Formats: sequence, C-alpha cells, structure tokens
Amino acid sequence: MKVSTARFRQTALAELANARTQKFLQILPLRLSARRQEAYGSFSDPEAAHRLGQAIRGEALARLPELLEQFERNAQANGAKVFWAADSRAANGYIADLARAKGVRYVTKGKSMITEELGLNEHLAGCGISAWETDLGEFIAQLLEKPPFHIVGPAINIPVEQIRDIFLAKGILDQPTTDPVALGKAARRFLRDKFRDLQMGITGVNIAVAETGTVVNVENEGNIRFNKSAPRTLVCVMSLEKVVPTLADALHLLRVLCRSATGQAAGAYISLDSGPRKNGENDGPEEMHIVILDNGRSAIYANRHTREALRCIRCGACLNACPVYGKVGGYPYGWAYSGPMGQVLTPALRGLADAGDLIRACTLCHRCKSICPAGIDHPGLLLHYRYKDVQADPLLAGRGADPKERLAHRLFALAGSRYAYWRLFSRTLRLAGRFFTRGEMLHGLGPLGRGWFQSRDLPALPKKSFHERWPEIAAKHDHRL
Amino acid sequence: METNAREAILDRLKSAHPASVPPRPSLPPARELALDAGECVARFQEQLAAQGGVAFQMADEAALLARLEEILRQEAVTRAMAAEDAVLAPLDLSPWGNRVGVEIVSPAAFNDRDGYTRAVFDQVQAGITGADYAVAESGTLVLVHDARQPRLISLAPLVHIAVVPLARVVPTYEAAIASLFDGGRRPSQVTLITGPSMTADIQATPFRGMHGPQKLYVLLLG
Amino acid sequence: MSSASLFIPCIVDLVLPGIGESTAAIVRHLGLTPRYHQAQTCCGLMAFNSGFRDEARRLARHFIEVFEADEVIVSPSGSCVNMVKNRYPELFADEPAWQRRALALAPRVFELSQFIVDHLGVTDLGATRQAAVAYHESCSTLNGLGVSAQPRALLAAVRGTTLVPFKGADVCCGFGGTFSNSFPEISTALVSQKVGFFLESGADLLVMCDPGCLLNIQGYLHRHHPGKQALHLADYLAGALPAGTGRRP
Repeated sequence: MKVSTARFRQTALAELANARTQKFLQILPLRLSARRQEAYGSFSDPEAAHRLGQAIRGEALARLPELLEQFERNAQANGAKVFWAADSRAANGYIADLARAKGVRYVTKGKSMITEELGLNEHLAGCGISAWETDLGEFIAQLLEKPPFHIVGPAINIPVEQIRDIFLAKGILDQPTTDPVALGKAARRFLRDKFRDLQMGITGVNIAVAETGTVVNVENEGNIRFNKSAPRTLVCVMSLEKVVPTLADALHLLRVLCRSATGQAAGAYISLDSGPRKNGENDGPEEMHIVILDNGRSAIYANRHTREALRCIRCGACLNACPVYGKVGGYPYGWAYSGPMGQVLTPALRGLADAGDLIRACTLCHRCKSICPAGIDHPGLLLHYRYKDVQADPLLAGRGADPKERLAHRLFALAGSRYAYWRLFSRTLRLAGRFFTRGEMLHGLGPLGRGWFQSRDLPALPKKSFHERWPEIAAKHDHRL
Repeated sequence: METNAREAILDRLKSAHPASVPPRPSLPPARELALDAGECVARFQEQLAAQGGVAFQMADEAALLARLEEILRQEAVTRAMAAEDAVLAPLDLSPWGNRVGVEIVSPAAFNDRDGYTRAVFDQVQAGITGADYAVAESGTLVLVHDARQPRLISLAPLVHIAVVPLARVVPTYEAAIASLFDGGRRPSQVTLITGPSMTADIQATPFRGMHGPQKLYVLLLG
Repeated sequence: MSSASLFIPCIVDLVLPGIGESTAAIVRHLGLTPRYHQAQTCCGLMAFNSGFRDEARRLARHFIEVFEADEVIVSPSGSCVNMVKNRYPELFADEPAWQRRALALAPRVFELSQFIVDHLGVTDLGATRQAAVAYHESCSTLNGLGVSAQPRALLAAVRGTTLVPFKGADVCCGFGGTFSNSFPEISTALVSQKVGFFLESGADLLVMCDPGCLLNIQGYLHRHHPGKQALHLADYLAGALPAGTGRRP
C-alpha cells in the first residue's frame, strides 16, 4: 500500500465532493455507533465494563516487558516458534525466508492491519511469492490498491460496478453481475481454491495471552480460521503491545472489542491457538511461528505520552464517533489506520514528517476519548504531537513551526502577558477590523481568515471591549473594580 | 540476530519509565449468572438467533436423529463428515446414515492429510460436530479441536450441524474456558462459534457463507 | 462567598463583550458581587491547541497570577474553563511549582452553568422567556467538563421556554479553534450539518455555553440563514431575567 498521509487535505477535499462516500458516511458510522451503544446495554454495568477494559489495557502496558517474556515462555512450551522482529525488514525477511524454505508459491492472509503496516504483500511479491488477502473487503481493497475505507468495512464504499470489473479482469468472475451476493460468492470460490491447497497462512493477532501463550483472533467470515487450520505452516504476526496478562482478561477484552467494533456480543468466530497441532490431529499447522514485531514501538513505549497509543485494540469505534471521519471517510488518513486511531498511531509509527495535516485535522471534540474501550486520550495525544511538531522534535521527526505562525503566537503571547500590551493589541485589532466592516458584520479580513470567511461571517468588532465597558458597568452597579 | 533483536527490544521496554498498574473497577456479576438452567438455554437460543444460527431442543436421542435427518434432507445433503468427539461418538452416526440414505464420512477414514482436506472441502455438503459447551451470554458454541474434533469439519462445508448436551449450556465464557485450560491443559485450538460465516463488505449487503458455513444448526439434547 | 471573579475569555472581551455583561448580570442576580480583574487577558488555549506551549505557558502564568487569590472564578466558556482546569497541569508538567499553583486554582474555576447549578445549587433564576430552544452540546463543555444537565436544567426552568429535541446535539459544530480556518471545507460540512439539524428541530433559537461554537454557528447562520439566531446561554438567561436585573441582548 502506498502511504498517502501527506495528501490528507487533497484527499479529504475529493472525498467531500464524492457523493458515494458521503452517502456511506451518512449511514455506516451512525449505524455502527448505535449498535455499539445497544450492545453495551447487555453488560450488568456498562460503565464499569468499559473501565475494566481500559484498566486491562493499562495494566498490559505497565507490565509489558514481563508479560512478553511470560508469553514467549508459554508459547514456546506450547511448541510455537517465537521470532522477535526489530522492524518490518526483519519481519518480512523472516516470513519470506520461511516461505522459500517451505517451497510455497503463494500465501494467504487473514485480515490484519499489522501486515499492512509491514508492507508484507509487496515484499513477498518481490520474492516471487503471491500474497492473497482473504477478508472480502481487504481482498477487494488489495485488488484495487486502495487503503481501507473503514476498519470494519475496508471496501464497503466501492461501487459494485467497480468490483465487477476488477473481478472480471482478474478472472475471479465469469459472467458479469452487480449483485453483491453473487460477487461475494465468486470471491468465495476463488479463495476457497487458495485455502484448499494452502501451504502457509499468515494472520495478525487480536490478543496474546501471557499466562497460556495463546494467540486469539476475532472475525466474522472464517478466513482467519482457514488460515490457521488449513496449511501446514502458520505465521501469526503480533505487534508487541497485544499481550494481556490472563485468559480472563482476554475474554473481557473480547466482549468490549466485539461490542465496540460491530455491536456484536461476539464475532462469528473467535479462535484461540496454543501452539501447533498435536499428534493425531487431522488438520492445523505442523509449525506455528509467532512474529513479535517492534517496528518502533519500544521507542514509542519509552515516552509516557506516545506509549498511550499502544493501548489501541483496533476496534474502530473512534472512527464512528469522529465528526471529521464522518465527513471525509478513511482514505485521507492515507495508511492502514484511519480515523482518530490512525491519527494517534500513524505519527507514532511513522513520525511527523508527513503528518502535519493529519494531526491537525481534529476539532478536539473528545468523542473518541469518551468511547475508547482501551482508554486512549486521542485529543491529548494529538496536542502532544502538535507540540512536538512545532518543536521540531527529533525523535518524532517534527517539522518545526511555520515562521509566520510562530511570530503570530509570540506576539499574541506578548500582548497577553501584560494588560498595557493587551489594551494596545485590543485597540489595534478593532481599528483594523473597522476597515473590513460593512454594517454589523465582518465579511472578510483581507488575507487573514480566508478559510473562515469561505462560509461564515464574523460580527463587527465592538467599539468597546469588555475591559473598556467594565468601569461603566461597575460604576452603574457600584461594584468595586 | 534473533537473540540480539529480542534483547534490544526487551532492554528498551525495561528501561522505559515505569508506569503504575491501574486499579481495576469491580464489575457486578454478569446478568446471565442469575439465570436458571432453562433461562440459560433460552438466552443461548435467542443470542444465537440474533447472529443467524438456528437451535432446536430435543428430549432424547431418537428425536435428535429425526431432526438431524430432516435437516440433512432439507439441505439436500447426501454426504456429510462427522467428527468423532465425545458427544457424537455415542450416536454412531455411520450406520444410521446408511439407513436414512446419507453417507457419513469419518475423518479417521483418511490416512493422508491431502485426502482428508479434499474430502472436507469438496466431497461433503455438511459437517456434523459435537460441541464442548454452549455459552448463553452470546449464543456461542465452544469447540475444542483435537484428534477427535478436526478443525475444518465445522468450517469448510456449507452447512454445520452441532450437537450439544443441555448440561453443557453454561452462562458465561469463563465457566467454559477456564475448565479447558485447567491444570496446564493447552488445546492446540479452541474455537468459539456464534452463527454462520458472514460478511457485509460489499455495499453493506449481508451475505452468509462468505468462507465458512452458510447455515448453522445447533441441536440441544436433553 | 459574597462575590465571584469573572473570567472573561479573550474572544468575549474582543468580539462578543455582551456575553460578559450578561454573565455579570446573572452573577449579580444571584446575589453576588461580580469582580473583574482588569489585568486578565487570555488563558492560552489557542496557543496550546496549536502546539505553541512556550507561548501558552506565558499566558497561563499570567492567568494564574491574576486569578489565584480568588475564591471562585466564573466563565461563560466551557473550552476556556476546560483549558484552565484540565490542561494547565499538563502544560506545567515540567515546572512543579507552577503545576502546584495550577492544581490549586483548578477546583475554583467554573463554567457559568456549572457554577449556578452545581456550586450554588440554583436552577430556577425566576426568568421568563417565550421560546422553543434547542441546546447545542459544546464539545469541551460536554466531554471536557461533563457539563450538560446543568444548562439544560437552567433552560428548562425558564418560564415559557421549552427545550425541543435536537438531533445530533452532541456532534461537533466544526469550530475547533484554528481548525475552522485551516480545514474550512470539513469545518463547513460540519457547521452546515449542525445548522441543518437546528432548522429541522423547529426551535426558535439555538443556545450553547461556548463563545467559539457561537461564532461559528452564528457566522454560518448570518451568511446562509439570516433570519435564524444562535445565542450564548448567558445572553439567553440574562435576557429572560425580571426587569431591572437582566440585560436583553
């Protein structure tokens, strides 16, 4: 996948003008939010259940190194092979070497954001190994080379005509049709052939359980189960923050994850794997490899602010709550993670160099924070990124402030540091404002506020500021100043 | 290389500023824990139905087999693969299948993996399994995969029929899962199944049987 | 407590001073003497939100120096109160002395409706105004301060006033400070959605607790629906007070 985070603004403009995108955004986030709300009602105490999930993620991060070692010990005891990958190069290299050693021509993948992050498909293609996405939405997005529109429905906005055409072109469909079910069936047939002869499957990991060395995945389609059950070799790629202390913790997180993502009490399939198949079993992998991926996360972890981004469990509830996502959809975010989740994860993982608009395209409304089952303070983190960007922070590759903007803030802070300066500033501002005033309103401020005045007016600046009015008010009511 | 990366990653994590473990709010007991046995079964059926699964309750083995025959006929099944787990084995489905005209294939009949895989993918129209537990809170079946319960039987055919003894209906996951991992037991795979395979990835149009079964029938026995 | 210190945000001081007068009038109506420090300027919210923390600290230090001796501080702006109460401690994370002062100040700062309902225990101001009103949940007020029931209670207690159901009441109006100017198209899509729901609601007025949202919504209404009006809660209430105590904007 090409990373297009730097083009946030342009893509957002295009999506605002895209009638189909707008149609889906009118329906999908609202529907998912309502379902989530209803599903939380089944908890004996929804608020306590919400906070328990957050506490589990908090504890998982607080005890991360210890839990990872425990998970590794138990996974190895279960017979799994554990590989620690410092970065995407190491992870991709390990997986490609394994595929070559097993002599496979292709691999299939369960829906996984982490392999998107790795760019694994492109790497394997470079090694002559095809990689097929098997989640229907991911499969379509892969064929069309599009980033996910929504984490729960990566291709939900794609017109059926476009799916028909790409399926025909790739030999997935024989007879043209625009029936969504018929298109789904064609994908089923095509991918079923892949599953039947599969030698090596690759999945992500939703939750890793330290006390048992178990890998947990949630899905609705069954493609992850095929990836875990059909081939002789299984690779589970987990970002290192996925580990939780106990099975009981995993069960509670599953409850909040499924409710937050799709409003289900449980996804259709949840699979818990503890090592490869045992003697006498008909199916299941002979080898289970678990790749624990760092890819910058241990550095993110070192900082108490950015560490918070690692709480994320990828449910996507924040997308549905976000007013900005609700207008522009998933494409502007330009990578595997969209919405507020993407705004906190992408800069942490890729730095700020391309993220100038990404971290500012937020009204700080805090809805994401209030519904986040993992307890992320998204707006707090975005404010931190803005600070680091302005500071040109080397760790996050901040770009430094625009000199004009910095000067404006410096002057404003100077004006606000003493009343005498403030009075001067206030008078100057109102004098300047008068120049642009027509009647009771300001319709523009010359070169300033062009964005604002595209669709809005401002009231004419008053002749007297509140500061200047106060002595009269106080005198009238005999207040002391 | 491998060890180095591991040490470097763990070192970085360990040298990071320590954070305190947050307190955990106490959660009132799940509502399902207050249900009696009959209510638990009803809750299971209702939750399963919400995700498109169908459950029937049969008093005895004869009624169960009659229902099974009806489902197989309705789904036009001529060959089915049946697991030999603790629930199904006593039913001895193979001779019964001969009597009702459905060939019941056993996974044990294949001595090579590829033959088994081809059969379960292409040569049967239904998979029949027992289930270790049925969980009321979400309408979920719990299947422990082992030599008697292969994974693909409940996944590859278009129809999945699962048999669960009523005594195995439990209120919440915890009761089921804890026992499966008790005393250092580590089943290679445990699957929680809640409804048929489903997607809505094209235009938000629901479609069952995306990769796995299009239909899920649960036969509660007892 | 016989007086309350007015924290008048810069946007009110410079652009919407009437809201400050209404706030003073309500405080007076409640039997308290409003006090106003002429030395106050700006809390630093805009600088903080834009990442300019050195500049925000400069303003915040000034703010703390001006207000820290006061018993109670009242402001007609949810977002500015949220800044002082919830962001100052983070802003001074590396300056323990200032952080202590910020933390000591925080519990004494109130958003106007929070002050009236929670602190004074008053919901009925004895006000009268015939209007069907929709209440907009400003994000900082709702999600930052957890204030929603308070302004609703105050409005509901005004004789003649009915609160009408308002779809998407808690969805952002698209202001977001500099966001509205930096991402005008997204911001416009959001404010036009907000205004659409307002028109659908059939309410005469749209009332809110934040002058930022007000500038945004009223600015859009003025351009596109000149007959319709949005109002700050302080102006709505002050205009409904018995003659002589209030001030109708």
